[in-house]
Amino acid sequence: MKAFLTITILLVALITTYAASAWSLPLQMLGTQLDPLPPLMLATALRTPITTIAILAIFASLTQSALSSDPLGLSLLPLYTLGFIVHINSHNLLHHHIGSRFALGAIAGAMIPLMSLALLLLTNKEPLIGWFSLWQWAASILSSGLMTLIFYPLIEWLDKSVEEQPLAAPFDTTTTIIRHRRFHE
Amino acid sequence: MNRRPYLIATIAVALLALTCFTLSPENSARTKRLFSSFYTPLFSAQKTAQTTSDYLTNQVIPRKTLLKENNALKRQNEILELKLRRLSTLSRENRILRQKLKMQPKPEWNPRLSRIVGRDPSNWWRSIQIDLGSSDGVKIDMPVMANGALIGRVQEAYAHRSRVALLGDPICRISATIAETTETGILSSCGGTIYDPTLAELLYLPAGTKARVGDEIYTSGFGEVFPRGIHIGKILALENTSGDLTTKASVKLATNPSLLNEVWVLMP
Repeated sequence: MKAFLTITILLVALITTYAASAWSLPLQMLGTQLDPLPPLMLATALRTPITTIAILAIFASLTQSALSSDPLGLSLLPLYTLGFIVHINSHNLLHHHIGSRFALGAIAGAMIPLMSLALLLLTNKEPLIGWFSLWQWAASILSSGLMTLIFYPLIEWLDKSVEEQPLAAPFDTTTTIIRHRRFHE
Repeated sequence: MNRRPYLIATIAVALLALTCFTLSPENSARTKRLFSSFYTPLFSAQKTAQTTSDYLTNQVIPRKTLLKENNALKRQNEILELKLRRLSTLSRENRILRQKLKMQPKPEWNPRLSRIVGRDPSNWWRSIQIDLGSSDGVKIDMPVMANGALIGRVQEAYAHRSRVALLGDPICRISATIAETTETGILSSCGGTIYDPTLAELLYLPAGTKARVGDEIYTSGFGEVFPRGIHIGKILALENTSGDLTTKASVKLATNPSLLNEVWVLMP
């Protein structure tokens, strides 16, 4: 596990969740709160091992619900599911282009509120939902896509900055020695 | 691919999620309190930043403006003191009359100013965080006011912070009275009010209600959670379907909580 990177990601999750709660401008202008956790989880799942993803899902969901009227750990399962799916498909996902990163972030931003809402309704809670929720959902999709464009390079940079990188080999690592099978006989 | 870490992580997350959903409300609140302590340095930093910003703003304001404002406030203070004296006399008179009629004395409320330090990060609820907590005497269900009107009640009290459920939140249902007709209903939320934080619904009014659009709404004092007569808002529209036993009213709340920075907590 990349310990330093994991701790740094947890700090980023804590600060961004707090900032989303303390900064009321999006709520005043758009009528919706912006959730930084889906894009953060997406960017994390593309670069870190499953243990970091699980730790982020647990910590982020519990700290977020500490600031909210949500039931404790409401976003735990949605965040972990997102991280798990992205992580096991990370080699198949096109995430090196800005457009594809935005699209992935938007999908993450669409998925988490839907799963959270389903969990709320399954646990017999009465959340405040109406036609305006569709606008809030659309804003969540858009903001999540945009935030992914910030979080992806941030996590990439953190990974390179706080984790020990393998030293460059003094020889050409792209060269492959192919020997005839008789060589082994 | 080594599947073991995936299996362990998935089982751990599933078990934790199950534990969270089956926790009792008390244990859930305790765990939330524990995790909210992670934000303590951030709340402190925000408070310091705000204090510094206020100090710097005060330094920048010209002396002439401050003197002008000071004079205006002095005049306003004198008028308010006169009104207060008159109200104190009336209050004393009221107390004596209540004693003579052998009625219960009305509780006194001490308002305490508090700053809003955060809003609910999710869109499903209307709640705010304030910088007064149980160490300051804040208790669950205490009324919270702003601009002379009720805006909500304390939902959870931590050591140095509290969460306030605002009017229009599904959790914050209160009994309200229409001043003109003295009819009582339950102020609640519905999906149709989500786009505007100053909208709520007054449910369970009588079918043949005499209430009119524009009538003022106050707290009823039933249940003894809130004192009677705190202003809430006014009726925006009435909806009565024939055959229904009750009438529903749309209410425009007197204060928009999303524009506030400070609130008053009413302490006994």
